[in-house]
Parts: sequence; structure tokens; C-alpha cells
Amino acid sequence: MAKAGTFGDRQARRLVRSRGASTGMRILKYTLSRALALLATVVVGVYLTVLIANMGGHVDEIRRSAIREQAALTLQLNQEARLLSAEERNQILNELIAVEERRLGLDQPFVVRSFRALWQALTLDLGRAYYMTSDSGSRQVRLIILERLAPTLLLFATAELLLFFLSVLIALFLSRRYGSWLDRLIVALAPTSAAPSWFYGVFLILIFAAILRWFPFGGMVQTPPPQGTLPYALSVLKHLVLPASSIVISAIFYSIYSWRTFFLIYSSEDYVEMAKAKGLTSAAIERRYILRPTLPTIITSFALTIISLWTGSIVLERVFNWPGLGQLIYRAIGSFDAPVIVGSVVVYAYLLALTVFVLDIVYAIIDPRVKVGAEGQTS
Amino acid sequence: MMRRMSQTASWLALALIGTLLLSAGALAQQRRGAWVDEVIMSEEANAATAITRLEVGEIDLYAFAVSDPGLFQQVQANPRLAYSLTYGSFNEMTFNVAGPVFSGSGKLNPFAVARVREAMNWLIDREYIAQEIFGGMGAPRYTVFNTVFPDFARVADVARAIELKYGHDPERAEAVISEEMQELGAVKVNGVWHYNGEPVEIIVLIRVEDERREVGDYLASLLEDLGFVVDRQYKTAGEASAIWISSDPNEGLFHIYTGGWVSTAVDRDLGDNFDFYYNPRGLPYPLWQAYQPTPRFDEISDRLARNDFRSIEERRELIAEALSLSMEDSVRIFYVDRSSFIPRRAELEVTSDLAGGISGTLLWPHTLRFEGRTGGIVNVALPSLLTEPWNPIAGTNWVFDQMPIRGTADSGTIANPYTGLPMPQRIERAEVTVKEGLPVTQNADWVELHFAPEIPVPADAWADWDPVAQRFITVAERFPGGTTALRKSVVYYPEDLYSTVFWHDGSPFSVGDIVMGIILSFDRGKPGSPIFDEVEQPVIEAFLRSFKGVRIVSVDPLVIETYSDTYFLDAELNVSTWFPLYAQGPGAWHNLALGVRAESQEELAFSTAKADQLDVEWMNYVAGPSLGILARHLNEARASNYIPYEPTLGQYVSAEEAQARWSNLAAWYQEKGHFWIGTGPLYLERAYPVEKIVHLKRFERYPDPADKWALFAEPMIAEVDVFGSRRVQLGSPATFEVEVSFAGEPYPDDAIAEVKYLVIDARGEIALTGWAEPLEDGLYRVTLSADDTAKLAVGVNRLEVVTVSTLVSIPTFESFEFVTTR
Repeated sequence: MAKAGTFGDRQARRLVRSRGASTGMRILKYTLSRALALLATVVVGVYLTVLIANMGGHVDEIRRSAIREQAALTLQLNQEARLLSAEERNQILNELIAVEERRLGLDQPFVVRSFRALWQALTLDLGRAYYMTSDSGSRQVRLIILERLAPTLLLFATAELLLFFLSVLIALFLSRRYGSWLDRLIVALAPTSAAPSWFYGVFLILIFAAILRWFPFGGMVQTPPPQGTLPYALSVLKHLVLPASSIVISAIFYSIYSWRTFFLIYSSEDYVEMAKAKGLTSAAIERRYILRPTLPTIITSFALTIISLWTGSIVLERVFNWPGLGQLIYRAIGSFDAPVIVGSVVVYAYLLALTVFVLDIVYAIIDPRVKVGAEGQTS
Repeated sequence: MMRRMSQTASWLALALIGTLLLSAGALAQQRRGAWVDEVIMSEEANAATAITRLEVGEIDLYAFAVSDPGLFQQVQANPRLAYSLTYGSFNEMTFNVAGPVFSGSGKLNPFAVARVREAMNWLIDREYIAQEIFGGMGAPRYTVFNTVFPDFARVADVARAIELKYGHDPERAEAVISEEMQELGAVKVNGVWHYNGEPVEIIVLIRVEDERREVGDYLASLLEDLGFVVDRQYKTAGEASAIWISSDPNEGLFHIYTGGWVSTAVDRDLGDNFDFYYNPRGLPYPLWQAYQPTPRFDEISDRLARNDFRSIEERRELIAEALSLSMEDSVRIFYVDRSSFIPRRAELEVTSDLAGGISGTLLWPHTLRFEGRTGGIVNVALPSLLTEPWNPIAGTNWVFDQMPIRGTADSGTIANPYTGLPMPQRIERAEVTVKEGLPVTQNADWVELHFAPEIPVPADAWADWDPVAQRFITVAERFPGGTTALRKSVVYYPEDLYSTVFWHDGSPFSVGDIVMGIILSFDRGKPGSPIFDEVEQPVIEAFLRSFKGVRIVSVDPLVIETYSDTYFLDAELNVSTWFPLYAQGPGAWHNLALGVRAESQEELAFSTAKADQLDVEWMNYVAGPSLGILARHLNEARASNYIPYEPTLGQYVSAEEAQARWSNLAAWYQEKGHFWIGTGPLYLERAYPVEKIVHLKRFERYPDPADKWALFAEPMIAEVDVFGSRRVQLGSPATFEVEVSFAGEPYPDDAIAEVKYLVIDARGEIALTGWAEPLEDGLYRVTLSADDTAKLAVGVNRLEVVTVSTLVSIPTFESFEFVTTR
């Protein structure tokens, strides 16, 4: 028996080991295939961005024309060149154009440049901008983006995190008080989120900057910037109030409404009623029976919120004159500065891919219903 | 008792006020440099927000030319706000002249026919465009000449005649176009023009960024009314330029483009405009190559571009003819001179250039002040700031960056913001000698103009630069057989130049700063130089084609001679000062030397082109990664007491001067954190690149009195009224009085160039022209003799008076109607 038992244990252990090895292989295989799929998505996405940012090569024509126009104006303003013969002037003009075209790489075919741009983007060598410079004067796309990232993160992280946590907590609270006056008020106010944040921004500026003079019209800090870290931080904080408020006001009611509806579905499940019947406290019910099953969705939403901070907001930043990524991308699109556009997108693409990748794994950890890599997986 | 106390108190109060006023007056008299203590500049992209901020006093000036009519009304209605007007930009319609049948598409192009293009002048209503579409922020324009520039004033009567001839007349336009369309073989079917069985389609490239969108739609509607099918293509600048500039006109990708141009300064010589806008010589681009001016127009255009005339009178005649021919040619139709306003607080005074606005004139830091006050902080907002790196040689060219840069700069001469004529600033006086027969005239008394049969260039003058040996090539070496020049300029700096002019870091100005400027005029365009920049090579080569030599005749006092074959019609424009104000800002020899060292070692580059080529940063003297590199070079230069271009500059800069300069710059960098220095009335306290803020402060060692340029607080645009009898009998003499004033005061006669009149008779033709005679300051008389009135027809006549001032280039037109009877 013992021998048989030993044999049986060995078999069982082998089976467990084999199953464990098989699970490990399955997870590894799944992880690799997901990584490859995401990488392929990033490659395709980035190349499409390269093509779109350059309008399939048409931007070259636009840039060539802009170079010609600019060179002509430059020469027109040159008093000495004006007195040269037409041939001499044209010769200078053509030389100026040739130098500028070489500088911008327009002397090479677009296809070649597009694949080079793809490779540089994938290796995160963001290269040099065509026209734009960073605030401190650098042409490196990396520095151009990094400089604008901090103000954008500051504004949007403050506003979005505030929005996210306020929404989830208030929604959770309301889901247990369905039909209360507060619940009805939130539902009634939800359509106000149809207006974008800049719309509220304009009103906030009008009320709190123009009439009451409590807050500044825009910018990130007072002029001239105060010396010292604390006064500087306080000044930034004061400038942050109106733009952050507009983001929160513009989305808070709808966000609460949608989270509250989501929580309501789970609040009315049988097991919640059972827990209630068992006499569990509201906090325990919320934590164990409502939040736990909704956690994957909350985490997904949170992760995507974090990524969305990267994009900034074109109009809001312009309304508040906030030196963020939104304004940067707006200028880059306006001036056909493809490296800056591609640079912004490629970082976003990588962040998105990484988030999706990590979320897949996180789901498996926090949600027992998810079986990574298995047939008919539910993730 | 009480009354006496009250009287005593009143006297005391009066005495106190008097003392304060006298003190303030004395202070104002003593004040040197800028009136204000500080100028803080920040970004504000939205004009409407900027005006609200002005209204509540958060900012004092929005240094941007706004053209929104609604905002203009808002500013006009607010007594707390004031504004300056600028007129630099203008709009036109560019025609594709290829054809009449496009070889690429086989479609008809009516605008290949000059008469059709000419008829478009009658079709469009310029008054409607200016008043309705531009909301009054523009004036109708008919010719290639900007209506606020001096050349327009010189031929104002001719221009007026053109305006009368090409006034809005849609029936005439339709008749001419129909006639030409039939001539081309087109037929009208159901009100639509057809060619070869297909409707004639007109592609209008409509720019979308400004009022040109409405203008394009208006034009398209007019053409549709005439029976054309119009394809309205709405494009941004970049999208449109790829078509109208780059495409072959014969492909027929467009017929009309809604063009726009801008002048950033008052241009005193528009003679080459005909070549630029109407002739294949203008630009080597496909559209220009399709232009086919008539032989006569081509000849005149060429002569005007080359200044091939003997006198100003001859030039005027050529221009008059060219203007007429350009209207017949009409490859372009100019329709509006745009005006814009720069809003500010009413208590703030500042000079604004007619074309370049406030940011475009070097006078702004001199004239900026709160009315009646000395000192104070001015908050200025601009649409963008610190957009590109600042370096004096090839740094930022953004107009808004140039405003603070101009605040820190000084110059040899300053352009008059209302006439474009240079005025002496750092220099004291000048002499200009030109070859006999050249049509050069003198306008001001600080220049002496001479004519000479020949102008030999001295053998020891510097004619070129050897970048390897780092020494100048003399005239004797470059022109072994000797050479002559068409123009010689001798500039005299004041005797106290070196003791009164200082750089912001405290270094006294020296001749080394001048010599460095001369060296850098050549060095960057010379292969073999460590700072050679291929962008500069063609520019330097062009310069050398006319440049003959420069000679420092005397170091103290500083006198510099310049010889060149380049000349301008105004003697004042022929003065070469060599003051170290570079293309993009001021520079001393020592702070520029750091940049030269950094570029020589391929760590930074002055120009963006070379920075890309070397894959290094574009040099920035005020912020960013450049500062660390420049600081390292400062330490090395200080340690070795470095003098750049030592074989040459070492002859003008002593070791002691070098030592002092490096110490001053090191202390400056330590205190301010940047390398930007000038000799202007304001210095850069700090630039905040991410926050987009520039902080300027008054430079206390600036030598000139603060009120030096007070004359330019406001443009003296003449206000004209005409008085006289409303009824004139044919064959009887008649007189009319013309009152010319400014701000209610008579306009000084010595500031009036001419008061010219035209009489347009009842037939709509110019029947008489002449000049009004001066009676006293601000009063002129137009006399029509009996013979004159006998030439008029019975009916309503219009007396048009054109007043041209020497103080401002905008002529004033005033008309007076009178009836002629038998």
C-alpha cells in the first residue's frame, strides 16, 4: 500500500508538476504571444502615424512650398539681394532652398524616410523636430515632449485623479441609496457633462478672473515667477485651480452617474442580498461583495485614466494658456512637424500597449474567473 | 480766522504741489534710458481674453496686431483703453495665367487672357470687402503699392486716377468677360459657360485662416453669377502653397488663389514690386514663369527694379506708366490694405511702427511710459514668447521674440516708424558720396550728400576675409588693379562713445565690438572657417558682389568708411554704421566669442540649419542646454584671457580689456543666469522658458535722455478740410481753401511735402491737376483759373486734395464737391 501509495503520490506529484509545468508554459506562451501581438499592434500603429502625420508624403510638398515661400520672402527683404540681377537672385534663392531641403531630409525619398522614422520611433530615438523647439530651445523631440509633460501631468493628474476617486466614492455611496434626493440630483445633472471642459473654463475665467479677480486668467505661474520653492508652488497651485476645476466640473456628474449605475448592477445581486440578510455591515458588503467583483473594471478605468494624462487637452490648455502637451501637439499639427507628432504618439502607444499587457496579468491575479491562456478564457 | 487758516492751507498745498511737480519735472529731465523701471512680458494667445485682461488692468499692453472688428469696437468704446493702428499686411487675388487651355487637363482657363483679369477689377467691390468683410479694418487698395508707404504718397494722384478708372462696375466686367469668353470659343448654355461641351469650372483656392475665407466665398459667388461653375477649395497656408507655388500652372490645379502678404517695416522703395509681382524675373517658381508681361511693361519693370533712371522725376513717370500697365496685366488684383490695432491701457504711451507695430520698432523701449509718470512696471502680453532660441547671429526670428530683444538693443540709426527713414541714434552724423548721375536724394540734415565723377576705393580698406589666416584681405589684394565704388559712406561716432556707452554687464563699448561685427559679416560664409555655415555662403557671395571695402579711418573718435556698389534712393539709407546689432539681436565681442568657440568645437551652432547638420543644439544665450556649454567656454576663455580672431581683433582689443570683459561676463552670468547682453535701454533680468515669461529691467547706465524720442509718441497723420464755393461758373476763376491740421493745431508747413489737387469733372474724368499754394502753417489755397474752369463740364465736380507729410508716409485724401454752371 505504502509502495502503491508511494507510487500513487509520485504519480500525483508528477501530475501536479506536469500540470504546474504545463501552466507555466501556458502562461509563458500566452505572455509571449500577447507581447508579440501588442508589439505588432504598436509597429502598425506607429507606422500608420508616420504615414498620417506626413499625409502619405504629401507633407513633403507642403514643406517644399513653404521653404520656397519663406526663401522668397527672405530674399525680398534683403536690401542687397534686391539690387542683384534676376539670375543672381534666383541662384541664391535656389541655393537657400537646397540647403533647407537637405536640412529637412527632403532630398531623400519619403518611403526611405518613413521606415527610418518608424525604426527611430520604435527604438524611442525620437530624433529632432523639423521646426519646433523645446521651451529651453532644444530641437530634441525627447526634450520638447518632456518639458511639456510636467505641466500636463500636474494639471491632468490633479484633475483626473480627483475626478476618478470622487466619482467612484460618491457613486459607491449612491449605489446604496438608490432613489434618494442626492441620487436624483446627480442623475439630473449628468447631462451637463455634454459640454467640454473648456466651455466651463471660459465661464470660470469670466466669473473668478474677470469679475471677482480671485484667480488669474491663465498661465502656470504669476509674472514674474516668485523666487523660492514654496511661493512658486503656491503660485502654481493658484493657477491650477480654475483649469483643474473645469475638468472636474465638466465630467463629474456623468462620471458619478455611470459608476453609480455600474455599482447598482452589482448591488442588486443575490449574493449581496444574502450578505445583507446575514447581517454584514454596509462597509463590509461594499468592500467584499461590490468592490471585489468590480475591481477589474475599476483598475482598467484607472489605468486608462492614467494613460490619458499623457495626451493633455488642446482647447483647454489654450483657453488657460497652460504650457502643456495639448498645446504642443496643436502646434505640431499646425506646422506639420511630423517628428513631434510621431514622438507624442509613439510614447502613448507604448504606454497603452504596456498597460494592456500588465492589465491582462493583473486580471488573472485579482479575478479568479480569469484563466490566462486557457481555452475559452474570459479575460 | 478760519478763513485765514484755510487760505494758508491752500497756499501750502499749492506750494507742495508745485514742489512735487518741479521735482517730477526735474526727475523727468534727469531720467535717462527707459521711462519705465520694468517690463514683464508673458504669453496670451487669445486676443479677446487679452482685451478683457486689459480692461481689468491685469496687463497694460497687448503687443499684437488684432484685426477683429468686434474687438476693435469693444476697445474703441472703452475709455480706459487706447490703441495704435498698423497697416503692414495686404491681400490680393493671384491668377493662374497658364493657357488659355491647360495642357495638363485640357480645360479652359479664362484668366490666361489679360482682359479677363483686368475685368476682375471691375467685378469686385473693394469698398464692400473693406467695410463689410473686413469690418472696416482695411482700406480698399487698387495697385501694387501699399497705400501707407512713401511711394504711394509720391504718386497719390496717379493712384487716384487708377482708382477712378477701376472702380466697381460689374456690368462692364460682365461685358468684357463675356466678350472674351466668346472669343475663346465658350458658349453660355442655360446661363452657364461651356467649353467643348463641358461647363467651365473655376477652382478658387480659399485660405481659411482669416477673412480671406469670406473673400473667397464672395469672389466665388460673383463668378457663379457670371455663369461659371466654381470649385471652392478651402485650404490652410501649407496646403495651398503646395498647389499655387509648387504645382505647374498648366496642370490647372487652381485658377485663383486668395493671397496675402506682409511688410514688417515701412518700405521706402517699392520700385521693384513690378518685377516681383508681375514678372518671371520675380521668382524662379512655376507660376511666375508663366507670366508674360508686355514688352513695354517688362522694360519699365526691369528699369525700376535696377534703379535705371536719372532722376526722381523720371522714376515717378516710369512708376505712373507701370501702375497703369500693371492694372492691364493684372496677374494679381490687390484689393485691401489691412489695418490692425494694438490695444493698450489708455494711460500707457508707446510708439508703434506703421507697418511693424510696437514690436517692430526699436523705439518702443524708449517711448514706453505711463502718461505723465516716470517709472513703474509695464505688463505686456504677446501671443507667443521664447518660441525659439535667442542668439544674436541666427537665433529666433519670431516677431514676438524680437520685441524683448529690441528692448535690449541699441543701433547706429533707428528707422523712423512713420516714414522708414533712418535717424541717427548712436552715430552723430554721416557723409554719403554717390557717383554722379545716380538718382539719390537727401531728406535730413544729419547726412551730407555729395556726388563725384568717380569714387576710388583706398588700397588699405578691407575688402574680404581670410578665414584661415584670420585676417582681412585688403582692396589692394582683392583688386590688384584698384577699384571704384558707386557709393561711399562715412560715419562719425561721437567723441564720448567709449566713455558713455556700456554693455549690460558693465563693459564699456569698444572698437573691438565693431571689428568683431565686420569679421562675422564674412567669416560664417567662408569655407575653411570653423564656423562656416553653408546657408551663409550664398548670402555672403551676394554681398561681396557689390561690397568694395570698409576702412576704420579713426578709432577715437570712431570714423568708418564703407564702399559699395549698392545704393538706395534716399541718402540716409546709404549710411553703413557697422554698429554691432546683428540680424537677430545685439552682441558684444566677448559674449559672441563664446558662441564662436562652441560652434568651432561643434558643440552648438548659431543657425538651426547647422545645428541639424551637426546634430547639436541650436545656440541659446538665455536658457536651456546651451548655457552649460557657453559657461564652460566662459571659464576657459577667462582662464586663458582669450581674444577671438586674435591676428586681427588682437590689434584692437588689449589684454586688459579682455580680462575685464571676461570678469564682467562671469559676474553677469553668475547673477542673471544667462549670456544675453546689449547696450539698449532695457536689460534681460531673466527669461523663464517654460512659464513663457521675459523680465526686462531699466538699464541705468544708458546714456540718452529718456525724452529723446518723445516726438514719436503718435503719428502726425494730417487732418484735412476743404472749404470754398459750392457753385462755380464755367470760365470764372474759383478758389478753395485747404486746412491741414493735427490734433487741432495747424500742421507746420515745413513738414508738408506737397498738397496736390485733382478735379474730377461731371464726366468722371480727371480734368485738372495742380498744387495748392501755402498761405501759412496749416492753410493752403487751390486756385482754378478762368481757363481751368472753362475746361469743366456742367454738373457736379469733385475736388480731390492729396496732402503728403514728411513726418508720416500716409497721405490724406479729402474731397469737396462743387457744381459748375454756365
